[in-house]
Amino acid sequence: MRFLRRLRPLRRPRPPRFLAAFLLTPLLAGCFASSGGDDGAGSGADDGSRLRVALAFPPAENLSPHGADATILSRLGVTEGLTALDANGTAAPALAASWRREDDRTWLFTLREAVFQDGSDVTPAAVAASLTRATEAEPPPAALSGVTLTAKAAGGTGVRVTTAAPDPVLPLRLSSPGLGVLAPKAYGKKGAVDPVGTATGPFALTEVTGATAAALDRFDDYWGGRAQASGVDVRFIADGTARANALRTGQVDLAEAIPVAQAATLAGDTRRETATTRTTSLLLNAKSGVFKDPALRAAARAAVDTSVLAQGVYEGHADAGAGLYGPAVTWAEGKRVQPAGRAKAGSPGGASLTLATYDNRPELPEVAQVLKQQLEKAGFKVKLEVREYSRLESDALAGRFDAFVGARNSLLDTGDPVSVLAGDFTCDGGYNLALLCDKAVDRAVAAAQTVADTGERQDAVLAAEAAILRTDAVVPLVHQRVITGVAAGVGGALLDPYERTLVGAGTRR
Amino acid sequence: MGALLWRAALAAILVCGIGLLPWLSRTDPALTVLKARSADRDATPEVLAAIRAQLGLQEGPLRLLGHWLAGLPRGDAGRSWISGADVLPGVLEALGASLLLMLVALAAALVTAAGVCARTLYLGARRRLEGRPAGGSGSAVLAALPEFLTASVLATVVGVQWGWLPALGWYGPQWTVLPALALGLPAGAVLGRLLDDRLPAAFAEPWALAAAARGLPGRSIARKALRRCVPGLLPNLGLFVVGLTGGSVAVEQIFDIPGLGRTTLQAAIAQDLPVLQAGTLVLVALAAAVTGATRLAARRLIGPALRDGALHTLHRPSPPARGILPLAYGLVLSVVLLLGLPRDPLALDTASRLRPPSTAHPFGTDALGRDVLARVAHGALDTLLLALAISAIALTAGVLLGLLPRLSGPLVDTVNAVPPVLAALLVAAVWGSGPTTPVFAVAVVAWAPLAAHTSALLRQERATLHLTATRALGAGPGYLLRSELLPAVLPPVARHALLRLPGVALALASLGFLGLGAQPPSPEWGLLLAENQPYAERAPWAVLAPATVLAVLGALAVTAAGGVRRPGPRPWPRSRRTRRADPDAGEPPAVRAELVDAG
Repeated sequence: MRFLRRLRPLRRPRPPRFLAAFLLTPLLAGCFASSGGDDGAGSGADDGSRLRVALAFPPAENLSPHGADATILSRLGVTEGLTALDANGTAAPALAASWRREDDRTWLFTLREAVFQDGSDVTPAAVAASLTRATEAEPPPAALSGVTLTAKAAGGTGVRVTTAAPDPVLPLRLSSPGLGVLAPKAYGKKGAVDPVGTATGPFALTEVTGATAAALDRFDDYWGGRAQASGVDVRFIADGTARANALRTGQVDLAEAIPVAQAATLAGDTRRETATTRTTSLLLNAKSGVFKDPALRAAARAAVDTSVLAQGVYEGHADAGAGLYGPAVTWAEGKRVQPAGRAKAGSPGGASLTLATYDNRPELPEVAQVLKQQLEKAGFKVKLEVREYSRLESDALAGRFDAFVGARNSLLDTGDPVSVLAGDFTCDGGYNLALLCDKAVDRAVAAAQTVADTGERQDAVLAAEAAILRTDAVVPLVHQRVITGVAAGVGGALLDPYERTLVGAGTRR
Repeated sequence: MGALLWRAALAAILVCGIGLLPWLSRTDPALTVLKARSADRDATPEVLAAIRAQLGLQEGPLRLLGHWLAGLPRGDAGRSWISGADVLPGVLEALGASLLLMLVALAAALVTAAGVCARTLYLGARRRLEGRPAGGSGSAVLAALPEFLTASVLATVVGVQWGWLPALGWYGPQWTVLPALALGLPAGAVLGRLLDDRLPAAFAEPWALAAAARGLPGRSIARKALRRCVPGLLPNLGLFVVGLTGGSVAVEQIFDIPGLGRTTLQAAIAQDLPVLQAGTLVLVALAAAVTGATRLAARRLIGPALRDGALHTLHRPSPPARGILPLAYGLVLSVVLLLGLPRDPLALDTASRLRPPSTAHPFGTDALGRDVLARVAHGALDTLLLALAISAIALTAGVLLGLLPRLSGPLVDTVNAVPPVLAALLVAAVWGSGPTTPVFAVAVVAWAPLAAHTSALLRQERATLHLTATRALGAGPGYLLRSELLPAVLPPVARHALLRLPGVALALASLGFLGLGAQPPSPEWGLLLAENQPYAERAPWAVLAPATVLAVLGALAVTAAGGVRRPGPRPWPRSRRTRRADPDAGEPPAVRAELVDAG
């Protein structure tokens, strides 16, 4: 080494420093995130400027339309299904202009005249193929779990959908974002699906930058008319504070799911609240431990003051718990049945219990701490257990905790109110965190599942709700509202209780 | 060659450990992957079976690991279990962002460190250090600042309210400033503190005296003193480089930076093993490269002196004058404790949430209306005991392993490169989740910087003249270790351990979501900071109070540790006692060693 050093000329001519800087620039550029399409500020040559949107959940599966990413596609106005959910929770026409039930297991959907974003026509064959691909996905879309479905083209405008078992809520089911219709071009080999430029909505994906950003352009041939915004630039910002900051600094026009803690930092006119179908409940382990005794469950229910939670923890951005279905489920309010024959509250006498919850939603640990105080006032001794959700679920389902606080979407992916009851509160339910097994509940839920008529089904659902609440295995705490940040001057944002839409043809700034 | 093999073996153990993680911890990867893909999806047996089939989980961990390893030579790090995308491009992209962030943060850290040392350099260059009390409160406070707090404050104040710099995003040079500051300030404070600890001794070396006598400008002497001290810190600098690259999760989240910290955290939670393995391997490789670079730099700086054993021992010539600072800090802490302990830390009152400080609540209230003062005071004991215990374990392990640099060097790099959450998961998987798991999970990473520091000091200490002299006089290795090496190395490493005490408390809190460590509503300080973080803008007092107390604690530890010095009279060299009696004794031990040498 020393020898070499001596051989080296004493002074090397140095390249000018700025040259090095120039050489570094492209290298550095690779280390920054691409901002996802054009600069949002540029309004372009044509009318309508681009919208800038901050979404909370980054795509987990490369925007595969069969998983949870389907919601992203649906919220951005990229994909559409045969049907959509309207504000009352009933199926509304989307790609299908109308439908009728041919028999118990068969429905015929009549398509409207529409074009895919790649220019090809929306034909019955293409739609049937698209639905078939969804049924073949592994794992299948959530809306199709437990359902066997075949779709076939019928004539020039019809698609006939047959289910293995009678399915009275099929049109609701088909409104699920996971069943969006894509052009044949989208489907590659080995189950790969590419939604870029192959859907039917008012906006077409043009570029996806990993899990950080995406760019969309207006689809001029949209059947519902040309969209007002010329495009959408999407950023996926997982941190709630960062999303709020993005809106406050004018980096985005729309920011979804502003956390309660950040709501107060937004100006009042940029804050829009929508009641959602998400209900936070206290589930009591009815199978083992302290709450096996219905009298103690009743004591726990009586001890909980839900208005404190809605006002104190959610700062008024939530409604106190009324039932399993909150105010977002509009039909429930007028038809609700009061549970009768509840157990009389017993005396806890210092019984100790473990209350578990997860911190993926920041409000839940706070709710649990308030509950702890309320329950301790009533005479229980409470120990809290807070973990990340996926490390909690199996222990909760195994009955390791006496009580569990969780938030649950009461309409799930299907938009059908019965499925959540069957999954969460029946003996065979796959997500029965209360470990409830009650004959009356099972009977009421089974009865609701068979009813086809919308109105009667809703009545049956609320009867089942009352049967469940009678057991006191679940105490509805609050019904959450979602806060969307909408910058001044932005209009036409689609704020939807089902969290399936956000940007539509009429959204502009 | 041996070191290389050892390094490779460690990396292999790590990758295998990750590969076996779900099976060791009995957490079904199909479930965690499903929840990462879709939080709302119900985990029915059919869905889990479909995912298992898709990922090939039924083949068992060894097969999966084999496939993954077989792909590596082809540059194929497998496909992400969550997204199904190729792992390598994603990980490299994240690495790019993280490296850039780290570089800018490093620049910020160096500036901070320079600020911390400026006073010593200024005084030293003018030979006016004697008898001055050591500084260090400021840097100790900075070092105790939680990154997320600095980041939140910078983002909301500078980014949102003043609008000077972008509050989030990662699109160009101006976006790097705030996150780099948030990371660089505490890191720079630690580095600056360590450097400042050694500078006075360098200035007291005979060459400095000679240079000053010869009329060399102070600036030049200061530069040479830096050159003398920096090699001892290079290993720690290297650790920071790797730590900042892979472990700045909080800052990446607040500023929405698509970096490696977030990628590996998400992969660790979801048990997305291919991503986790690739991310960790990249970090381990980076650690190896950085270590090589620091070693090269150290050799360039003082290589010949190290080889020839021609160094002087670096010890502060005389204990700095003890200021009243430690007393003042101690007083502040005890007042907080005395005022807070009679209050109830658990009493909720949601009606009076987020109240600013008042006479009823001197530190204000938190998001559930609890008294922050009471929580800070009640949390102190738990936090301190636990953090002190961990620091003691880390110090012992760090010094012991630091004495065996060949063994511990690669181990330090590897452990340091492992994301903390992954380390905790691995520990919990092997250890089970008992009450001692969080202690062990933090200690298992906390010893690394201390060991690196020990090794670096030891390397220099072994090359000192007085050691050669002692050896020549027939001292055995045991004697050398007991009476020369350990007494020289322990005090600075102990001060270093104290400097990191607040960090340990924060690390403990960050394990909470795995079900390890303190659970709410415990007022443990780390938890206190974490639960009030979302309200940092609306109720700054709720985070500032615990952060301030933590910082005061850090300052107390550092200023009081000024007393952690080379212990008692040594049998050798003889001249010491007489010199010590002399109130003007300015010569450093090195001078004494030289006298002996000459004699």
